[in-house]
Amino acid sequence: MVLAILQGVSELFPVSSLGHTILIPALLRWSVDRSSESFLAFVVVLHFGTAIALIVFYWREWVEIIGALLRSMLRGKFSGERAEKIGWLLVAGTIPVGLLGVFFQSAVRTLFGSPIVAASFLILNAFVMFLGEWLRSRQRRMHARTSKPIEALTYVDGAKVGLAQGLALLPGISRSGSAIVAGLLVDLDHEAAAKYSFLLATPVIFAASVLEIPKLFAPGAHVVALEALVGGLLAGIMAYASVAFLTRYFKHNDLRPFGWYCLIVGASAVVLFATKVIV
Amino acid sequence: MKALPLILAGLFVVASILYFTGHLYPTGVHAKHGVLMLVLAVLSLVWYRFMSNARA
Repeated sequence: MVLAILQGVSELFPVSSLGHTILIPALLRWSVDRSSESFLAFVVVLHFGTAIALIVFYWREWVEIIGALLRSMLRGKFSGERAEKIGWLLVAGTIPVGLLGVFFQSAVRTLFGSPIVAASFLILNAFVMFLGEWLRSRQRRMHARTSKPIEALTYVDGAKVGLAQGLALLPGISRSGSAIVAGLLVDLDHEAAAKYSFLLATPVIFAASVLEIPKLFAPGAHVVALEALVGGLLAGIMAYASVAFLTRYFKHNDLRPFGWYCLIVGASAVVLFATKVIV
Repeated sequence: MKALPLILAGLFVVASILYFTGHLYPTGVHAKHGVLMLVLAVLSLVWYRFMSNARA
């Protein structure tokens, strides 16, 4: 249940859920076999809960976007409608992250799955957020660039944000953090960058969890139905609360507090692992 | 240029079949790769439709 709460919160906060699910069990000395069929099946349910929470939170937007996309496909023409443009931007952003995820996910996780590497990437995640905020304020100061709404992005910009989201394959690099930083660099404000990042994350998390559903029925995946249901529900509730909090937070605040959090937690974990206080 | 999306759609469909039947990897069936290739094939056809309408 702790894992479900952790997953629900850290999936959307820019602090890397993957990094936390590697670091926390190691720091608390839980004996979690991350490659066991039961663990993988449980994680599928948690991701599914998170995806449903995101769909529920933005359900009006999704109804508009999917409707506009279908109309656009049937017409074979762009209408210039806001929801249609956002829908195609999401398609442009989802293709690179889908390709990266499908082709490189297992290799990257095998290479970088150790706790000390996750802690090091968490430090890198902090610097990505600090650098993003610094570049953003520099752009506004020196080039007088102003913020624009999501629908004013070009498709190349939309794809760039999706590509940045792909960095989250590295444990310790946050999906929402890297996407928000990329959004800021293509002139979205924090609120719009966070919203685009959450909308972009929805099909990715949803598709990833649906495609992993066979793991629930794999031989050796002994996930108790009630346990899985409660876990998925908890992850969903925490994800909903997180996205509700973050959408309000990013109206007036930036990424730096999350950067400091990642820097402190990552550096402390590196010291603990390097000095063998925690093996 | 007009034929490019159609060629891509064809290639993605072939790749998808090969992934689903386990012929593209020695380790067997890769359903996720197959689904992705199928989605890309559909998107290529949508691209073709948009291109055709733009020229009409």
